[in-house]
Amino acid sequence: MAHVTGVRDRTSRGWRNAPASPFVARIGWGLARSASIVLLLAGWEILARSGTFTPFVLPALTSVLERILADAMSGDLFLGASATLYRALTGFLIAAVGGISLGMAMTRSIGIRWFFDPIISVGFPMPKIAFLPVVILWLGLYDVSKISMVAFEAIFPVVTATIVGIKGVDREIIWSARNMGASNRELLCQIMLPAAFPQIMTGLQVALPISLIVAIVTEMLMGGNGLGGGMMSASRFADSPGVFAGIVEIAAIGYCLIKGMSMLRRRMLLWHQEALEPSTV
Amino acid sequence: MSASAQIVVKDVSHDYRPPVGRVVRALEDVSLSIREREFIALLGPSGCGKSTLLYLIGGFLRIENGRICVDGRAVTAPGPDRGVVFQHFALFPWKTVKGNVLYGLERGKLPRAERETRAQAFIDLVGLTGFEDSYPSQLSGGMKQRTAIARTLAFDPQILLMDEPFGALDAQTRSLMQTELLDIWQKTRKTVIFVTHDVQEAVYLAERVAVMTARPGRIKTIVDTAFDKNDPQIYRARTFVDKVDEIWGLVREEAIKAQGTHAR
Ligand SMILES: Nc1ncnc2c1ncn2[C@@H]1O[C@H](COP(=O)(O)OP(=O)(O)OP(=O)(O)O)[C@@H](O)[C@H]1O
Ligand SMILES: [Mg+2]
Repeated sequence: MAHVTGVRDRTSRGWRNAPASPFVARIGWGLARSASIVLLLAGWEILARSGTFTPFVLPALTSVLERILADAMSGDLFLGASATLYRALTGFLIAAVGGISLGMAMTRSIGIRWFFDPIISVGFPMPKIAFLPVVILWLGLYDVSKISMVAFEAIFPVVTATIVGIKGVDREIIWSARNMGASNRELLCQIMLPAAFPQIMTGLQVALPISLIVAIVTEMLMGGNGLGGGMMSASRFADSPGVFAGIVEIAAIGYCLIKGMSMLRRRMLLWHQEALEPSTV
Repeated sequence: MSASAQIVVKDVSHDYRPPVGRVVRALEDVSLSIREREFIALLGPSGCGKSTLLYLIGGFLRIENGRICVDGRAVTAPGPDRGVVFQHFALFPWKTVKGNVLYGLERGKLPRAERETRAQAFIDLVGLTGFEDSYPSQLSGGMKQRTAIARTLAFDPQILLMDEPFGALDAQTRSLMQTELLDIWQKTRKTVIFVTHDVQEAVYLAERVAVMTARPGRIKTIVDTAFDKNDPQIYRARTFVDKVDEIWGLVREEAIKAQGTHAR
């Protein structure tokens, strides 16, 4: 969870008996922290080479990596990844802007809250992918419908996090802003939004992997290239290394996105307690 | 006295209605008038409604029973004429010390350069020079409190509502801050309502001390305490010590009552 929330595990770096070179120490700890992944990958390679399964059922990791390398050289990897990322990130941005605005509007206006509150309550737990056939009818099979699905699914955690964040702002903080003459508008933009930002950021960190997941699922269901579409066509052509290459690529991209997001969080929440000394508990 | 009263609190009662649990009557029939540029201290046992009274005068809570007028106008909303130093500081955690102090000035008429100078002057005044760019989460409790004081003093409200403003400070810093506050009060003709638990501080700073009863808070008595504030030996004077004893006795009575209601 430490990676996701962006709370840096400072204790591991400040370890008393760490090797003299901080560079070596960093690599060492990086390896130690990803040990389970390394073990899993090694297990995959050994199992695949042991002959228990045919290469069709379980291709060796090395052959999958070779395939990724070949895809990267030919530019296919770049095309697929950029198509998927474009859909995921555009949808995510729409969800972020729309979700924060809607959340703020809902805390400001009784009418808007009255209208949207039940919709959010019903919509959040619902599998939005059930709307896919409707979205296809309305918006077609191309990027617009995929991006809409992404935004539709990702907006819910952003809205709820924004509402929770704004409602949780300490009343004395609001009062002191009022005391210094803040208008309604200033109160919202200069006080509520930054005060609620840690919560909102958490909502965005939940929404980002959702965006990637929905982008890939819609690609699998509707085609249209991208990493998800690529995996489906590889599967149709019984191209086993191609399918597994897709899985590894998606995992790597997802990891980078989450990592980037938690770095962004640290940068933007420098003022926050969590960016200082992490507590030991 | 009522002719020149700047803040008039008349028969004010206040009930808290938490969403769960029973109604809490925090204040009952509080009446108080405060002259322009008077320094009045508010004493009373914990939980007797001192903060609540300041919040009502500040315009943060709705006045349901009674009336509060400031400068002849009924209080309906907060405003920068009544600067509040909150008991729990209420700093903006995403702003630096400087950013916090500047916030109140940004809505004023001063040009940018003067705002900067003024903010810096008040940061220096409370002894936080060198911490301008620190965030509140990087400060000690006393430093946060001093930031809050600087922030409120900086936008120059005519009335100061201070809720235990020196509560988190050590004795030396407290004494320095007392001197600074008196200096500002004497120079800038402010009206000050000063909540404290320290009887000696109240007697030293204030011209009158209002002692409140245990909850529901009323004004028990108001004691005149105008001593010479420029006399550094005043703490030793017989009259001063007697006054502190007298008020201490009054507060103690109420504190015991407050304890009793808890025990029951
Ligand atoms: N938000 C609230 N909801 C319900 N009850 C409250 C609330 N705030 C205060 N009270 C009650 O009102 C009473 C007065 O509170 P207040 O904060 O004004 O006391 P105080 O005199 O400032 O105490 P202290 O010296 O400890 O700061 C308390 O007994 C408390 O139980
Ligand atoms: Mg209080």
